[in-house]
Amino acid sequence: MKGVKLSRDRDGRLCVERFAMWRRVEHVITIIVFSTLVLTGFPQKFYDTAWAATLIELFGGLNDARVIHRVAGITFSILLGLHIAVFVGGVITKRMRMSLVPTPQDLRDAWQNLRFYFGLREKQPRMPKFDYRQKFEYIGMVMGSLVMVATGVFLMWPVETAGVVGGEALAASRIAHSNEAVLALLVIVVWHIYSAVLAPDVFPLDKTMITGKMTVEELKHRHAIEYDRIFPAGEPVDELAAAEGAPAEGTPEPEPKGDGPVGPTS
Amino acid sequence: MTQRGSHRAAAVALGTVLAFGFASGAFAQPGEVDDCMDCHGDAEDDRLELPDGSEVPVQILKQAWDASVHAGEIGCTDCHTGISEYPHPDVQEKDLRGFQIAQAETCKRCHYAHFTKVADSIHYKQFEEGNRNAPTCVDCHGAHDIAVPGEPRMAVDARCAQCHSEISDAYRRSVHGQALLDNNSPDVPVCTDCHGSHQIKDPRKPDFHAASYQICAKCHSDADRMERYGLNPDVVSTYLDDFHGASNALYAEGLGRPDKPMVTCTDCHGIHDIPSLTDADASVVRARVLTTCRKCHEQVPDGFQDAWLSHYPPTLSKAPLVWLVTWFYRVVIPLIMLGLVLHILMHLWRLRFRRPGGQR
Repeated sequence: MKGVKLSRDRDGRLCVERFAMWRRVEHVITIIVFSTLVLTGFPQKFYDTAWAATLIELFGGLNDARVIHRVAGITFSILLGLHIAVFVGGVITKRMRMSLVPTPQDLRDAWQNLRFYFGLREKQPRMPKFDYRQKFEYIGMVMGSLVMVATGVFLMWPVETAGVVGGEALAASRIAHSNEAVLALLVIVVWHIYSAVLAPDVFPLDKTMITGKMTVEELKHRHAIEYDRIFPAGEPVDELAAAEGAPAEGTPEPEPKGDGPVGPTS
Repeated sequence: MTQRGSHRAAAVALGTVLAFGFASGAFAQPGEVDDCMDCHGDAEDDRLELPDGSEVPVQILKQAWDASVHAGEIGCTDCHTGISEYPHPDVQEKDLRGFQIAQAETCKRCHYAHFTKVADSIHYKQFEEGNRNAPTCVDCHGAHDIAVPGEPRMAVDARCAQCHSEISDAYRRSVHGQALLDNNSPDVPVCTDCHGSHQIKDPRKPDFHAASYQICAKCHSDADRMERYGLNPDVVSTYLDDFHGASNALYAEGLGRPDKPMVTCTDCHGIHDIPSLTDADASVVRARVLTTCRKCHEQVPDGFQDAWLSHYPPTLSKAPLVWLVTWFYRVVIPLIMLGLVLHILMHLWRLRFRRPGGQR
């Protein structure tokens, strides 16, 4: 046990905490702000479509839609700033591991996992706390957000921007802002929704980001390296049960997930 | 022919007579024009004096009438409805303008659809606000010598110039006016092509400004027409793909109104005096872009105009940064999405066909 919060879910299964309350709140705010930005931004990109007019009208006209887009954009920027500040602060004070930062091992994991998909390997590679798919999405999201925030700021203050980086950068910012938005939305709709909602092994929804918890059993299969890190002695000593003074045997056995392939989330 | 057949033939014949009667003769009596022309077709310059001292000419040039679109279609009393006998009843109107306005009223008996369009126009609004000189039907179309409207095209300009002479002068200097004057080009616009004829809107309104690019787009996004003059067919699409263009496209659909006007074609190119830029000095043109920017963005630094790529898609030599960003996403978006979709498909494939335990 390395400072990981343990608890039990409704069925009495032992769980580890993967996302603290703040992370889960951050995720919900991000969903709301991202959706608002998409709904007010895409009609401006696809101005000549019928749905664009409908959406703009819904927000009370182009001027109001722009105000909402900018307020949401500023909110998003603050959120991104906080996120990075917390990360940097956490790493400096050594309270946080860089568990979402890609390493060369992730490339090897990806290669081995693809071999597994093609049946060239019997077992899925053992994954760390966050596997390469999650890291890819996370880094993509952070980098994409930086692009969106930077170009968004440029477009919001075009005169000041042109004074600093020149007029051509303004034109490039507009292209980047609109294309990066398309990329972000596509990745969310195709990749994130598949991983967190539609993938057969998590369907109908991977609830980890809602409850913040994952059962120890699931952790063992999906993030074996992290499991070993938390429980170096092997099978978890049910310290929570011991603390509660209740016998661990009284709890129902968690549904075994089997050794099959596992989904890319959580 | 049977009994019934002959009845039917008679009915058809009667119907034809009635229909024909309504189409042409429901109006004046045949021969009426000739009767009127006996007095009004003289070469003399007879005039009717009105109470205010103004005079209405009462003689009609018969050749002009015969050449008009109405000759053979309607008769004199169809418009001059108050006259059915001789001597004629007194004219009620007190002056010449009043007489013209009253006569124009008779046009809507046949051309009601056009009248309803006029009723929405800036001209009619002026008229309602008490400007008696705002044009009515006869001021543009004439009275007895009405020709096919819009022919010849140069005549349209002459008609509008009766009141809008300064604008007409500017137009005649423009690349459009020159092409019409020199070559009678069918490709350049005359007044009505941009402003409409009957439903002329107030061009000073913000709505008109925001939607005005659509007027230019009618010709300037027509690739065939542009090719005839070696002009860039992308001017409208590149404008719309910019911030201001996309904004005006949405405003033009009635989705709000700009706080201040968003730059559009005429703000850089001029309105009636649009010059040709085919042989223009590029640096002069670029300087003009900056001048236009500063109309709204007062404090912009030199170089701000580089945000506008002059209606051309970015190229590596002209706008390398924009070109790079454009191509980066053109390559990266499909590549990433292809990779992710393949990854998902492989995951599903593994779940379906390579289940541990030996199935399949």
